[in-house]
Amino acid sequence: MTANRRTPGTLFAALRVFDISLGDMLWSRRTVFMGLVVGLPVLLAAIVRLFHELGAPGMRINNAAVTGPIIFGLMIWVFFVRFSVPVLGVFYGTSLIADEVDDKTITYLFTRPIPRGAVLLGKYFAFLACTIFVVLPSVVLVWLLIVPIGGSLGASFLDLVKDLALLALGLAVYGAVFAMIGAAMRRPLLVGLALVFVWEPLVMALPGYLKLYTVAYYLQGLVPHAMPGGSTMNLIQSIFQETPNFGRAMFTLAAIELACLWFATRAIERREYVLEQ
Amino acid sequence: MGGSEVGDPGTPNPGTVGNQASKLPYIVYKEQFMTQRTRYFMFGSALVVVLGLGVGAVAYYNGNLPLKSRVGPEEFAYIPADATAVAYANVSAIMGSQFTQKLREVLPTGEEKAKLQAEFGIDIERDIDSVVAGTNGAGPGENGIVLVRGRFNQGHLEALAIQHGGLAQDYKGKKLIVFGNQYAGRDPVPGQHPFAAVAFLEPGLIAFGDRTAIERAVDANATRQDVTKNAELMKLIGEVQTGSDAWVVGNFDSLKQNANMPAEIRQHIPAVQWLAVSVNVNGGLNGVLRAEARDEKSGEELRAVVNGALAAGRLVSGQDKRIEAMLNAVQVSGIGKTAVLSFTVPPEILDIINGFAGMKHLNEGGGK
Repeated sequence: MTANRRTPGTLFAALRVFDISLGDMLWSRRTVFMGLVVGLPVLLAAIVRLFHELGAPGMRINNAAVTGPIIFGLMIWVFFVRFSVPVLGVFYGTSLIADEVDDKTITYLFTRPIPRGAVLLGKYFAFLACTIFVVLPSVVLVWLLIVPIGGSLGASFLDLVKDLALLALGLAVYGAVFAMIGAAMRRPLLVGLALVFVWEPLVMALPGYLKLYTVAYYLQGLVPHAMPGGSTMNLIQSIFQETPNFGRAMFTLAAIELACLWFATRAIERREYVLEQ
Repeated sequence: MGGSEVGDPGTPNPGTVGNQASKLPYIVYKEQFMTQRTRYFMFGSALVVVLGLGVGAVAYYNGNLPLKSRVGPEEFAYIPADATAVAYANVSAIMGSQFTQKLREVLPTGEEKAKLQAEFGIDIERDIDSVVAGTNGAGPGENGIVLVRGRFNQGHLEALAIQHGGLAQDYKGKKLIVFGNQYAGRDPVPGQHPFAAVAFLEPGLIAFGDRTAIERAVDANATRQDVTKNAELMKLIGEVQTGSDAWVVGNFDSLKQNANMPAEIRQHIPAVQWLAVSVNVNGGLNGVLRAEARDEKSGEELRAVVNGALAAGRLVSGQDKRIEAMLNAVQVSGIGKTAVLSFTVPPEILDIINGFAGMKHLNEGGGK
């Protein structure tokens, strides 16, 4: 009977792992954290809209009226592009394999007759589905609540489509980068946090070529809204801001994602995981 | 997993766990993708995104949805869709502001106000709420219209208009009073000022302008082909109207196309495509002038020109603290195609002007 059994292909195996992992990820404590991260902008948007409907005077910055589309653009930058996407990428991406190692359950996955890389791929697809299906509805709700304040849903519709696409792309790329780190390193969370909160902001604020080695450089180049001003860091970033063209940004992001996934699967195929007793 | 159940040992099934040889029941993996609550979650989440995108797509192709807050005042229903410039003033807010109170101390204008009240029975400060103006060009023959909303004695105004040579007419159910020697004719004589007209469009809404403009306003309202269908103009209006007591938005290109403008001047006007000015009046006067150039290079040049003009102003002002203070209240910003010039006139400036006027008055009195 065993002789008749065929080992399932990588894609099929990844799909089975995806099925198992999606439920586990979605109904875990980490999702509560994700709910808070993406729920806060929705709550703020609802409060702003409520004040507007109650007839509160419009917000003004430097004497200029701040309309709904401008607030929406600011929220996309501050809450999603610069925070939610990288942070969710770190927390979920680094834990794809690390959690199984910590829980000492990776052995059960590796003893199944499936390629090791399929485990990572399945978990990566589960991460993508889990985060995309939480983040994108949040963005849509913020858009519906905020944009009608002095703006038009029709006029900002294309920006919304671009935002949704770039956030999904951002989650995919950051997820792949941190999945690779999670598969290859011992303390992936620390490395991931350092990358997101130290390396990327620092390098983005410096002149020179170092920013080419960040995901943020390519991802932020695709944001259809003006970069917010205000903080010193934003001011410095806007001074040294260089935006890659659309084609280059898309190509590089796709290359980063594929390369990271390839390295991650390679790392997981070759690495020996020694479980601490 | 999707779930498990006790199965028939005779059924071959991938994923089977257990002893095939024994007759004991064994666990069969149920081929079900995702658990029910996961499926519900995914479905709900997808529904939110699809509904949002659907609403956006409808709004994008249709231009209007009841979900969105109305952009612009209600009077926009009478401004035709081909308008190239629109202006709005919240007269009641401006008149009731502290800034206007102070301004009145500096520039008393009681005579004209009293004359208007005596003749038309209109108190500008109390009877007029807002004024909206629109035009589809910059030339004298273009169709300009001014819509005034407030509390008026229609009968008194009609009688007064007819007394001054007006002829009452009806256009699609709206009462028009037309002025001019040949108001019986339909088309204005080229080179001459078109027939002036007043129309009572709604209770509390009067329109002033030439007859063609008013007739087009009535048509725009009837066919709903009003300025809210002008996406480019409405985008700018949406950006300037919130929190502003008065604003003007216009297509600068149409101004340049005016045949009466000398070619020399036309060539020297920067490549500005759209111009928007908004003013907020409270304790002081805060204003923003926003110009949108045709491309980023022109935008950069425009910002450089404004910055240069400010620098020249500072140089020329010398040690004059008042001019320096006023220039410091002007800020230039902008990105890409846009140049934004924001300015503030604090109430203290009026105090200073008032002080100077008082001193001048005293000196003149002393001289006598």
